[in-house]
Amino acid sequence: MNLNILIMNGYGLYVWSAFIFTFLVCLILFLKTKKSLNKVEKDFHEEVKKLSAEQVKTLKKRKISKEILNPQVKIK
Amino acid sequence: MFNFLNIGNFFVLLNKVSKSIKIIFVPVIIISLVFALYLSPKDYIQGDTVRIMYVHVPSSWIALGCFSSISFLIILNFIFKIKNALIIFKSLAPIGLSFCLISIVTGSIWGQPTWGTFWAWDARLTSMLVLLFFYLLIIFSYKFIKDQNFSSKICAVISVFGLINLFIVKYSVDFWSTLHQPASVNIFGETSVHKSMLLPLSFMLLGFLLYCALIFLMKYRTEIIRMKKKGLKRL
Repeated sequence: MNLNILIMNGYGLYVWSAFIFTFLVCLILFLKTKKSLNKVEKDFHEEVKKLSAEQVKTLKKRKISKEILNPQVKIK
Repeated sequence: MFNFLNIGNFFVLLNKVSKSIKIIFVPVIIISLVFALYLSPKDYIQGDTVRIMYVHVPSSWIALGCFSSISFLIILNFIFKIKNALIIFKSLAPIGLSFCLISIVTGSIWGQPTWGTFWAWDARLTSMLVLLFFYLLIIFSYKFIKDQNFSSKICAVISVFGLINLFIVKYSVDFWSTLHQPASVNIFGETSVHKSMLLPLSFMLLGFLLYCALIFLMKYRTEIIRMKKKGLKRL
């Protein structure tokens, strides 16, 4: 295995730590965002379950609510 | 005039593009990492440390771009009271903050082998740090100030000062003698970066932009659902 990709002529520590930090921050932001989206979606569905059939029918007529309630549309 | 900013249209449109983004994102990131860490040449003076550029430079551009967009949207919301502008800037702010932090930390890591220090209080570095504080101020303003009118006024004031700081960030390397080098990539002028480095840089920028789009879509969806949840009580 070519070890120079890790060592990078003595600069590996700097290069790898910069890349790892970048991807760690991106991963944390992604997981945090995903977690809050899941929580909000779950809460929304629970609130909808409490509504009467008539209210759900009215809700589904609305463009955005219809998109949110559509299980196939999930940005995750 | 602002039909595109209509929440319903915007929400449906964003849901449609999200699928394509997810398909492109992973291959683009893999290709850009292979280019950045393996295929791209090392610099004749800086050696392999130049590879840090592939994460530092796109992060800085995104941090600056996000702040410009946020300021524009805050001012738009302040003048025309467009609710969607408010939701968009709330979704963009954490992305900008993260990339601003990445830019400062990776720049600092790059500084040690090239300048011999992790930090210097020069104009570019300090103005980027100030930008990070502006991001924090905006986020804290809309999170902790409950009165929306007052919060949007505060955000508008912060964004005006933030825009002045953006100008300082951009021209700090020209106005003052700084450790930080002047801009190497110019859209309208001459670019001093060789094509063999410009290509991985462009790929990484594309990868980061796709990531930003993905996070933005998730944040935007979260904000919309929160808003709609409040509206359920009125049904």
